[in-house]
Amino acid sequence: MNQKLLTFLALGFGALIILQALLGGWLFIHNIGITPDEIKTYYADKSLHGVLEVLVPHTLFITISLMAFLHFLSFIDTIEQKTKTYFLHLLFSLFLLDQLTPIGIILGIESFTYLKILFFVGFEVVLGWVWIITFFASIKKN
Amino acid sequence: MKFIASKKLSDNPTLRAVIVWMLLLLMLAMVLSLGAKEIEYGLTPQTWVSTVMGNPDEFIDPMLFSDLLLSIHTDLFGLIITFILIASLYVRTLRSMKSKIIVFSALLIALLLYPLGLLGSSLIGAMGIITALSAFIVFHTLIIILCFDLLLSLSRKRL
Repeated sequence: MNQKLLTFLALGFGALIILQALLGGWLFIHNIGITPDEIKTYYADKSLHGVLEVLVPHTLFITISLMAFLHFLSFIDTIEQKTKTYFLHLLFSLFLLDQLTPIGIILGIESFTYLKILFFVGFEVVLGWVWIITFFASIKKN
Repeated sequence: MKFIASKKLSDNPTLRAVIVWMLLLLMLAMVLSLGAKEIEYGLTPQTWVSTVMGNPDEFIDPMLFSDLLLSIHTDLFGLIITFILIASLYVRTLRSMKSKIIVFSALLIALLLYPLGLLGSSLIGAMGIITALSAFIVFHTLIIILCFDLLLSLSRKRL
C-alpha cells in the first residue's frame, strides 16, 4: 500500500514538474515570442544584470527540482543504466545551455537566438520524455 | 530524497550523476548570484552602503524598504534550500565531526547575518550593510568550496 502511495506521489510530483515546464514555455512564448527576431528584440533591451536576475533563481530552483524529479530514475528498471545516465546528462546539459544562451544573445552573437530555441524546445521535449518513461515504468511495476 | 537514505552514493550511478550535476549547477548558481549582487550593489563596501542607504552627494536615492524586503526574502529562500542540500551531503563525508560543526556553524551564522544585517541597517547604519554583504560573500564562497569538496569525495568514491 505504501509503495502504491509513494508511486502515486512520485507521479503527481512529476506531473507538477511537467506542468511547471509547460507554463514556463507558455510564459516564454507569451512574453518573448518564439521566432529568432522576437527573441533578439527582447534581449536587445536587457542588461547583464537583467539577465542574471532571471538566471540566478532559475539555475537554483530548476536544478533542485530536476534533482528531485530525476532521482526517481534510480528506482526504474524498464530502461538500462546506460540510457538513464544518457537522459540525465542530456537533460542537465540542455538546461545549462538553455540558461546560458541569453548571455550570448546580449553580447550580440546572432546564432545564439537559434540555439536558445533549440535548447529550450529540446529541454521541454526531453523532460516530457523522461516523465513518460517514469509513468510507464510505474504502471508496469504496479 | 533517496540520496539522504542511500548508504553509498558511489554505488548508484544514477544518483551519483544527479548529485554531480546538482553540485556543478549549484556552484554555477552561487557564482552567478555573487555576480548579480556585485552588479546590483557594487564592488566596495562604500558602494553597498550608498545603494541601500542612498548618498545625497552622488544623488543616489535610498533603496525602497519593500524592494529590500523582497530581495532578502527571495535570496534567503534559495540560500536555505542550498544550505540544507549541501549540509545533508556534507554530513556524510569522512571529514572530522569538529570540522563539520565549524563549517555548518560558519554557514548558519553567515545565513543569519545576511538578512539581519540588512534589516538592522536602519538601526545600526552602514555596519549592518557591510556585515550583511560580507556574510553573503562568505556563505557563497563556503558553499562553492563545499561543492568542490563533495565533487572530490564523489570522484574518490568516498560518499
